[in-house]
Amino acid sequence: MSWPEVELDPVVRLRALAAALPHAALEEAVIEAPFARVWSFVDDLERGVPQFEGNVKRLHVLRREGERLWLASEAPLGLSFRLEAVLRPGWCVMHTASGSVQIGMAARAEGAGRTRFAHFEGSRWLGRAAGLLFRGFVRRDLAKLARLAEDAG
Amino acid sequence: MSGRDPAEPFAPSPPPPGVDASAEAEAELVRAAQRGDALALASLVDRLAPFVGRICGPIALEHGEDAAQEALIALLRDLPSLREPRALHGWARRIAAREAVRHARAARREAARGTDAVAAALPAPGDPALASDVRRVLGALGAEQRAILVLRDLEGLSEQEAATLLEVELGTVKSRLSRARAAFRRRWSS
Repeated sequence: MSWPEVELDPVVRLRALAAALPHAALEEAVIEAPFARVWSFVDDLERGVPQFEGNVKRLHVLRREGERLWLASEAPLGLSFRLEAVLRPGWCVMHTASGSVQIGMAARAEGAGRTRFAHFEGSRWLGRAAGLLFRGFVRRDLAKLARLAEDAG
Repeated sequence: MSGRDPAEPFAPSPPPPGVDASAEAEAELVRAAQRGDALALASLVDRLAPFVGRICGPIALEHGEDAAQEALIALLRDLPSLREPRALHGWARRIAAREAVRHARAARREAARGTDAVAAALPAPGDPALASDVRRVLGALGAEQRAILVLRDLEGLSEQEAATLLEVELGTVKSRLSRARAAFRRRWSS
């Protein structure tokens, strides 16, 4: 016999994570492209993420140990950050040790050829006041990722 | 929903993933998460999601996913209120069980009203996909009986711990457990 268990997918898990970060802005979108194609833009951190993540101009992997990565990023206005991240299919969370940058992305297949993508951004330094600002960033990123993934088909 | 195969129906389960890590390491993880460390929160989500799913699934059945999602969100949102990080799993178990019972009771009330939506969500009698599954047997029990079975026989809590968690008298737990086990065995063997 087997007890009926529930498996929570990465998008649900990211919603829960974001609930613990009241200063972060979480948005979701359904993208008209299969999961593998959508996630390829996240999985290829150095080339894929800067194409849709407006606050990341360049991303360079310094070290990788399994799912854990250490990254150097360049942001607009000449800012640069050292990020630590966890990356696996459907799940990516990265931050600076100080919490000045917090980014989360998760995805799951949703029906044939569609993908639900969740994304949050926030900063402990800027607090809740920056919520509207980050919400705008996240919506812009989602729209850009959707265009990239849909056009790549 | 997925399944786990215990050796026999009422054997206490092995500890959930993450519990085998040292208690102090986990307490430090909780403290980092309470400070808003995003990667510590991600690690906690990895530990708590299967733990919550294992409790909500057998209690809330078809509504287990909703219950587990709401329980996980409540856990992460209310994490700053957890004063003793070493009590993480007991605290999570209490919130998950209450959320699951709440969902199961709400579903039962809706079913009693005979709404089509809920009726459609419930497993149909004789559904071949469920016929050989324990879900069929659990579905014949009440939410309170499923909760006590899960807490006592799956999670390995004592009767007193289960009584405290469910906020009922010890005698109520004893009688509820006895009836639940008898009903479970009767239906399982039928």
